[in-house]
Amino acid sequence: MTPLSIALNLALSFAGLAALCLAMDRHHRAIAGRGQTRACARMLRLAGWAALAASFAAAVVTSDWNFGPVQWIGSLTGAALLVVGLVSYRPAWIRPAALLALPLALAAALLA
Amino acid sequence: MRQGFRQSMAWLHTWAGLVTGWVMFAVFVTGTATYYRADLSLWMRPELRAGPSDAIPAAERGIAYLKAHAPKAMAWYVSAPQPDRPVIAVYWMDSLEAPLGQAMLDVESGAPTKARDTQGGDFFYRFHYELQMMPALGRWIVGAAAMILLIALISGIVTHRRIFADFFTFRRDRSAQRGWLDAHNVTGVLALPFHLMITYTGIVTLGVMYMPWGVTAAYKGDDLRFYVEAAQTTTWRPAAGRPGEAVPLAPLLARAQGEISEPLEMVIVNNPGDANATVVAVFEEPHGLAHQHPQIAFDAASGSVVERVEPLKPAARVFTSFMGLHEAHFASTALRALFFLCGLLGAATIATGLVLWTVARAPKTGEAPGFGLRLVRGLNIGTILGLPIGMAAFFLGNRLLPVDLAHRATWEGGVFFGAWALAAVVSLLRPHRRAWTELGLAAGLLFGAVPVVGALTTDRGLDFLAFDAAMLGLGLALALGARKVSHYEARRQAAKAARPGPARVPEGLVEA
Amino acid sequence: MRVSKVLPVTDISGPLDRARSRSCWRYRSAVAARVGLAAFGGYALAGLATAFLSLTLPMVRSEAVATATLISFAILAGAVIWVFAARTLLRAALGLGLPIALVGLGLWLALDGVAMGPPA
Repeated sequence: MTPLSIALNLALSFAGLAALCLAMDRHHRAIAGRGQTRACARMLRLAGWAALAASFAAAVVTSDWNFGPVQWIGSLTGAALLVVGLVSYRPAWIRPAALLALPLALAAALLA
Repeated sequence: MRQGFRQSMAWLHTWAGLVTGWVMFAVFVTGTATYYRADLSLWMRPELRAGPSDAIPAAERGIAYLKAHAPKAMAWYVSAPQPDRPVIAVYWMDSLEAPLGQAMLDVESGAPTKARDTQGGDFFYRFHYELQMMPALGRWIVGAAAMILLIALISGIVTHRRIFADFFTFRRDRSAQRGWLDAHNVTGVLALPFHLMITYTGIVTLGVMYMPWGVTAAYKGDDLRFYVEAAQTTTWRPAAGRPGEAVPLAPLLARAQGEISEPLEMVIVNNPGDANATVVAVFEEPHGLAHQHPQIAFDAASGSVVERVEPLKPAARVFTSFMGLHEAHFASTALRALFFLCGLLGAATIATGLVLWTVARAPKTGEAPGFGLRLVRGLNIGTILGLPIGMAAFFLGNRLLPVDLAHRATWEGGVFFGAWALAAVVSLLRPHRRAWTELGLAAGLLFGAVPVVGALTTDRGLDFLAFDAAMLGLGLALALGARKVSHYEARRQAAKAARPGPARVPEGLVEA
Repeated sequence: MRVSKVLPVTDISGPLDRARSRSCWRYRSAVAARVGLAAFGGYALAGLATAFLSLTLPMVRSEAVATATLISFAILAGAVIWVFAARTLLRAALGLGLPIALVGLGLWLALDGVAMGPPA
């Protein structure tokens, strides 16, 4: 439940949800300006779920089973809000932000 | 049946949401504020300085005060000072029916504190489950509204057929109704686990009051026995009827503290002065979800241990974990901020739902809105903006009311309700577009004024930076948000006026 | 007050929408009936179930009461959803009345402490 573990959760959840968002054709068109192949969408979906699973694992490892699930769900909400905000107001920022989230997550994991 | 089911759930969601919306908005907002109850209380007692203190000497001073001022009481309660509540709070129960007497004592001297008389953050805490009414009535209204909200949540999930496809969708550029529906869906879905959890755990927290039939059936009405067996409290030992001397308190408490690793939180004396008096040492909850306090009961005359509260059994652990989840005492600073955010999203879900209700029933061009629609619009603004206005006025009242005013705490409550009522009247009288802008501006100004007035009337300077920042942020959000709402309405009206449609008929000739 | 549909119009409607299309009084009485049935019937079912489960669950007394009280609100919510989802008012009433009768019978037996045996 330390700030670092929450930051780690937020970063991973954000990356995962952003990937899942991009995997949806409608949003991909709005963000990237063009459509995507089925393979691309599948990859993004896989990456997205993987990031969410990693976020859950990180939550349970750092805050154990009592609080980990609660923390993970909270991080999902915070991250989802960020994704929706970016998609609605600054769609161009989503891909760089999602890519930036990964090294940030790594940094938080190493420091925690 | 499937299609019919979705439609009937849509009907249920609309009306359950409307009936419960205003009450639950107030419950959500004041409940979300309660996550920072201790910080609010610290801000509202600027004469005190936060910091740690010794629990056992403070408890002794509290008992000494109670001995002098409430010697005939049935029970004494002394709440040890906390780092974020640097006072000794004492309570006494004269009888089961009368409300508890209470006083706040200075930590060092044990005399009544010089800090201004205020309920602090507890005002919003109590409001959020009691609505400042007679306890039974208020709690029942909140409970009924919460149960209806649960229905609204379930029916909402059933109705939202594109829940996954529209997960990230927020279309601001289409029709007003589309935009409000998207906002309602997004705020509802993003924090859906929180909304379901907080509603159910809220009902469960007062669950034995709302559904006492289990206790009635299994315990033949002996509620206290249930709480003892569920490891929530110690057994009440009845008075012997003859006076008795109690052993010194400090060694008892020291022995209790030796057994328990958590800090001492409260000392209870049942039947003080009686031969059968009991001293109960209550400790803070161990780190975990379950809301349970270790307790040790001593016989006051002999000093021997008579009872220890047992560890929780599985179902009781789940029950108290539900309560723990609701109160979130376990949450760290960052997690508490996340919970706060989710609470705001919940309030936003309700608010956008209420506004959506009126937008969807907006009259066609040329028609006048009916009484029902005008009423709902007015109540919406009166609640969504009126309640925050009341809260800002409450904070201003805390700084501006004279410190030695009699019944000061009641006056502060009066300021809260007075400001809210005034805002509600304005919102019912003004045209609703103007009301959004005007009251939004008022809310922004009032919240913005709080840090300024605080700086001018106290000597605490920059001590409350986080609180000040929150006030400014809320004020800005409310003013800008309200402006956006009224511009939406204005844009929609202009668009409708520009569209060629049926010839405009003057009001009065059209049936509303 | 006139009400326009929030959702896309479809031909298939719920039971209360159908009532609304007939007459105002019909509609209001249909709503009132469902609300009353849901509120009182739902609470009755949940309360009876709480008492019944508190007496019959194979656990220590305090555990049974805690468990029963915890799930009682889910029973209440389920009953309310049922009342509004049922196609006709009669179905709603029967669907609630039958469980109430059964649980009520069970509770009465549990309170009496009478064991269920073969009829004499």
